[in-house]
Amino acid sequence: MSDQVVLTLRVPLEHRLEVDAIVPDRFPALVTRAIAALPVQYGGRPAALSDFFTVTGERSDRVLVQGDLAWAAGLGAGMAGGELVIEGAAGRDVGAAMAGGVIEIRGAAGDNAGGALPGASRGMTGGEIVIRGTAGADTGARMRRGLIAVTADAGQGTGGGMIAGTVVVFGASGPGTGRWIKRGSIVSFGAVVRPASFRYACTYRPPHIRVLLRYLATRYGLPVTEAQVAGRYHRYSGDLAELGKGEILEWAGA
Amino acid sequence: MQIDGVTIADTFAEAFTMRATRVVITAKNARWARQAATTMTGFATSVIGCKCEAGIEREVSERETLDGRPGVSVLLMTMDKESLPQRLIERLGQTVLTCPTTACFDGLPDAPDRLRAGKALRVFGDGFQASKVIGGQRYWRVPVMEGEFLVAETFGMQKAIGGGNFLILAEDADSALAAAEAAVDAISDLPGVILPFPGGVARSGTKVGSKRYSSMIATTNDAFSPTLRAITQSELPDGVNSVLEIVLDGLDMPSIEAAMRAGIQAACRPGVRAITAGNYGGKLGPHHFPLRRIMGAAAPA
Repeated sequence: MSDQVVLTLRVPLEHRLEVDAIVPDRFPALVTRAIAALPVQYGGRPAALSDFFTVTGERSDRVLVQGDLAWAAGLGAGMAGGELVIEGAAGRDVGAAMAGGVIEIRGAAGDNAGGALPGASRGMTGGEIVIRGTAGADTGARMRRGLIAVTADAGQGTGGGMIAGTVVVFGASGPGTGRWIKRGSIVSFGAVVRPASFRYACTYRPPHIRVLLRYLATRYGLPVTEAQVAGRYHRYSGDLAELGKGEILEWAGA
Repeated sequence: MQIDGVTIADTFAEAFTMRATRVVITAKNARWARQAATTMTGFATSVIGCKCEAGIEREVSERETLDGRPGVSVLLMTMDKESLPQRLIERLGQTVLTCPTTACFDGLPDAPDRLRAGKALRVFGDGFQASKVIGGQRYWRVPVMEGEFLVAETFGMQKAIGGGNFLILAEDADSALAAAEAAVDAISDLPGVILPFPGGVARSGTKVGSKRYSSMIATTNDAFSPTLRAITQSELPDGVNSVLEIVLDGLDMPSIEAAMRAGIQAACRPGVRAITAGNYGGKLGPHHFPLRRIMGAAAPA
């Protein structure tokens, strides 16, 4: 058993690499050789993890992945526990349908981070994803529970179809943010393009935002300001074409 | 044993097992946090008549609270674990939910026994409430006219001790009160302990039952009532004309012992003749606090 498992990308990726076998909560049962033999798909062809990564460590649910993984899809998809740190960009479907644990991406994330797998009605149902960079389209789409924090801009359809949970975007959010959400919160510190089916409720200081932002600052070291913690927020309820119990909280300053 | 000329009686305080929860109330400023805590802990001096005992444990700084606002830590205790949830729900619902700007946090997050008070209170939101999980703790956001009331879904419950006590036997009422105030001041910043009586002081100590009224479960402690010295089996030494009691409830024995030690030390001042404690011969309460052993560490050589 080691403190963590480190996967270091050995070759630059030119095609899509399906790495949905990198799921930290399954690693405590695996020795180094078994991890190296985990199946991946590269450009649609089957391969082994060791064809692309150097593997060090074993039997740990703390996993560090190093390299530019913008072409790697499905990192931590379906994970239920443990910790996955990605030192660099991550491709699409990172943390898709995850149920627990923590994913920290120290770079940009592709589309559908924390979202739903194809054909599934639910995205992530638990856990936390911290993206230290931009996020692609459909971040947190159809999520049922959990927390996603994006330190820069998020793409179109952020939080689309959310059932519950929280998405915090420190940058701007793309068109269609919050469309079709039933419940859940989208907290936006940058410009946000709200669907027409959201309605303004009030401007206030939400008490849970204080707890949430202080947690993000303490737990992940995110650069949260006191003006954000104690600030005023415009509350927009929606999606009124759906249940209408969701919200977009748009920061309105100190 | 004497401390600063005050006799420490060779006796012990006898206390009972209780169940406790800790609530951290925060607010926009210390004024409103104190207001909510004071209201929540009102009419909670004794389980005999109030169904619970409660008190302010200490003020909590902005740096310590989860929302970064000033707070107050409150302990609430009952004699059994079955009634604690209801007492907590009643008091949070009527005194904290109603108080401007407050939020409520669990002060015993590691306790495995959980009271689902926030989950019960959420229905005040009439279906408009929403939950949020932050750092593994679920909170309820209850919409109110002011904005939102934030309350933790569950609060920890643990065993506690109620009825720790000591009696200040003084030459006159002014000396007794001054000594009691000094004791309360010395105890007030210590963690894990509350003093549930008004200002931390009880003037009406009790004995079990009644000599005359069968329906009374507790009546005046005539053995320590100065006006009855001549007509009852008094336990008052000569020269004692007033007695005040400090009652302590705590989360564990070390907390109560530390508080008794600090309080008794502070109460040993001019005008005080003796410090003693109330007990039932050791037959009723499983927790005993021998005064001389507790004061051993603090007594001058």
